[in-house]
Amino acid sequence: MEILKNPNFDFLGKAKYFIALSAIFIGTGVAMMSTRGLSYGVEFSGGTQLILHFQGSPEVDRIRAAVDATGPGAVIQSYGEPAQNRVLVRVAQEAPESDLDAPARAIREALTRTYGQNPVLESSSEIVGPTVGAELRKKAVYLTVLGLLAQLIYIAARFRGGAWGVAAAIAGFHDILICLGFLTLVRYEITLNVIAALLTLVGYSMNDTVVVFDRVRENLAKRRKEPLPKTLNESMNQTLTRTLISNGTTLLAVLGLYLFGGEVLRGFSFTMVVGVLVGTYSTVFIAVPFANWWYARQERAGSAKASA
Amino acid sequence: MPPALENPITLWLLLTAALVGLVYAFMRVELRWKAILYGAVLIACGVAIWPPYEREGVPGKIHLGLDLRGGIHLVLQVVLDDALNATTDDAVNSARDGAARKGIQVASVQRTAPNALSVDGIEPARVKDMRDLLRDFLRTGWDVREAGENRLTAQMTDLFQRQLKDQTVQEAIRTLERRVNALGVTEPVIAATGNRGDEILVQLPGVTDMEQAKRIIKTTAQLSLKLVENSAATQETLLQGVAGKVPDTMEMASGPSDTPGQPTWYLLRKEAMITGRDLKNARVGVDESNRPQINFSLNAMATDKFARETGRSIGRQLAIVLDGIVYSAPTINSKLGAENRITGRFSTQEADELSKILKAGALPASLKYQQQLTVGPSLGRDSIRAGVVASAAGLAFIVVFMVFYYKLSGVNAVVALTANLLILLAVLAYSGANLTLPGIAGVILTMGVGVDTNVLVFERIREELRNGKTVRAAVQNGFDRVLTTIIDTHATAIIAALFLFTFGTGPIKGFAVTLVIGLVANVFASFFVSKFLFEWVLGKGHVETLSI
Repeated sequence: MEILKNPNFDFLGKAKYFIALSAIFIGTGVAMMSTRGLSYGVEFSGGTQLILHFQGSPEVDRIRAAVDATGPGAVIQSYGEPAQNRVLVRVAQEAPESDLDAPARAIREALTRTYGQNPVLESSSEIVGPTVGAELRKKAVYLTVLGLLAQLIYIAARFRGGAWGVAAAIAGFHDILICLGFLTLVRYEITLNVIAALLTLVGYSMNDTVVVFDRVRENLAKRRKEPLPKTLNESMNQTLTRTLISNGTTLLAVLGLYLFGGEVLRGFSFTMVVGVLVGTYSTVFIAVPFANWWYARQERAGSAKASA
Repeated sequence: MPPALENPITLWLLLTAALVGLVYAFMRVELRWKAILYGAVLIACGVAIWPPYEREGVPGKIHLGLDLRGGIHLVLQVVLDDALNATTDDAVNSARDGAARKGIQVASVQRTAPNALSVDGIEPARVKDMRDLLRDFLRTGWDVREAGENRLTAQMTDLFQRQLKDQTVQEAIRTLERRVNALGVTEPVIAATGNRGDEILVQLPGVTDMEQAKRIIKTTAQLSLKLVENSAATQETLLQGVAGKVPDTMEMASGPSDTPGQPTWYLLRKEAMITGRDLKNARVGVDESNRPQINFSLNAMATDKFARETGRSIGRQLAIVLDGIVYSAPTINSKLGAENRITGRFSTQEADELSKILKAGALPASLKYQQQLTVGPSLGRDSIRAGVVASAAGLAFIVVFMVFYYKLSGVNAVVALTANLLILLAVLAYSGANLTLPGIAGVILTMGVGVDTNVLVFERIREELRNGKTVRAAVQNGFDRVLTTIIDTHATAIIAALFLFTFGTGPIKGFAVTLVIGLVANVFASFFVSKFLFEWVLGKGHVETLSI
């Protein structure tokens, strides 16, 4: 059984429409990020987040009444499956460094006082002081950029040409921007897990790009006389079945993670789902067209010089 | 299981011997050594992970991370100024003592910053003597300067401050280790963390009583013995005695009095006669009326100083201050020596806890919480369930698809995938690395990448077959051509994972670890093991068709 028999798509010819599409996506995403702002998880923004496990079915209104008495602006929502009786309470107010516990303790006490008939059986918490968050944010950006750069250098070295490395890195950067846009759109928080997912998807996207580039390298060695765009298109078509099958299975695996992986991994698996899709797309419509444009420009410059 | 087989090495040897027998009976000569090598590795992996999870009290081989097991994760910042202050205070004391011994008149010696001190009003003729004195006992680590008329200043060098910082953090880590061990936590993690190196990560798996953990960890147990200047029932009375303001050289502290619920307030000399650093030992004892007390002994150097100073202050009260609370303030009746005691209204348990903490050592500086994370055990259990369901769903889907799409070769891929997971789990078990929830996500991603390797190879084989190659040549070419691609893709993925690893925090580190191990295992399983399976199935003779 085969999905496609001898595919022969003109990917490069259509690339300009897709680049425009990407530009629209990224533009919208950046605009949204700058107006709405990225919402950071508690490990980046600092503050207190509690996951409270109640004995009976929790009434969010009464919990909100109790929590609001300790300080305004808390986010309260049910967490996980309804049968698990869990509620997430997030307090934006900064936890004082001298007594990090204070807001969490106040909430727990308020709940015992006013909602004692449905006691909290287990309380998981994440409390982050204000300085840690800012530092982690910086570190996340720093590491992502360094990671991209290291991969760029590796690819440039392996393929004997900076353009290939730059092309792959641009595609990776493109993927991160689009993922961030989607995260903003659905209002998922940027947590440490999401950063892990972003860094992984950079690796995944590069992985996908390398498979195609590798085929290009092989084809270039075999037939030197063919024009580059033709070789690029052929290489993409030759690897197309693999791209569909491999990325399709990975997509379904991470989709399974998104659907069944539980609340803790929701943001992570969402990022991965978007990332696998975008990573596949960016190989074909960003990385390869960039390499093509780069070498075409070089050739023009070369022939201009030759004719002069 | 018979006891002889409980030793993993014996078990492995036995199973491998059985494998060798089977291989010699049924396998072609040229494949034998590969079969034995691959088989032995996989058997070792199987043995290494058995039993994977806790059963009947036998702990599982796969270590679960905090997020799956439940427990406490704390990041504490060491307040370095405390250590600097203490060191500078020591220097101030030595300067004062030195000047007195040499008979140099000075108006005052004081700490002007956490890392600097000044000597003021030195008798003009002996400024140089004083400078030599300072240089002599401060030696390296300090810059001694003349600063204006009859004034000397000393400032710590950057190098010395750095050394002091490292020393303080290391000392704090050792102290915390001793305390946590007393708590009886299995597999705790206590390590320096953070960019500036002044933070300590404490992970206590399985502990969920945050209050107890914090009490043990955070008690700074800063013991100090200070002379009492005055005492009264209220702060106001004390303040009246000093014209409404506590002088710079003094401080106020309170402690329990004879009437319960009514504290006594003390005005204390700020500078401590003895601190926790001077302690050699501490243990529980009983006083004359059989109440628990804490006995402590001083080291030799401190004993000399203590004897000298108490000899000078007979008749005065000496406050025993622990973490800012005056436990008792006995009157000095005579010169005191090395052995001393703290009496107070302790319960036996309190006395026991306190003496343990005193013996485990005071923290060299106080700690500030930067981050704390508690995961309840039931949340952890639900996460495990969700992770297992998600992995099973992913695996089931991949198996069905591969067998449906690639037929018999798909079975080959499934075997390779199983081997891949087996190796991944075995390395996790053997290295003691923790499986975290993101780690489970890493496992799922590994399956995805693992399948990719097989798909790359299989698609290439199909392509070669389409181009009219024989089955054997197609398989050979398929694997050969794809090897460089696999190396490049895995290398880029590993580079990304390494950056994740340096990110350092618990769960993400777990994810990076699983990802790297999974990628390396994948090359072995989906390339070498899978290739071997093809060679085995294709046999020696001519083959017309391949089920792919």
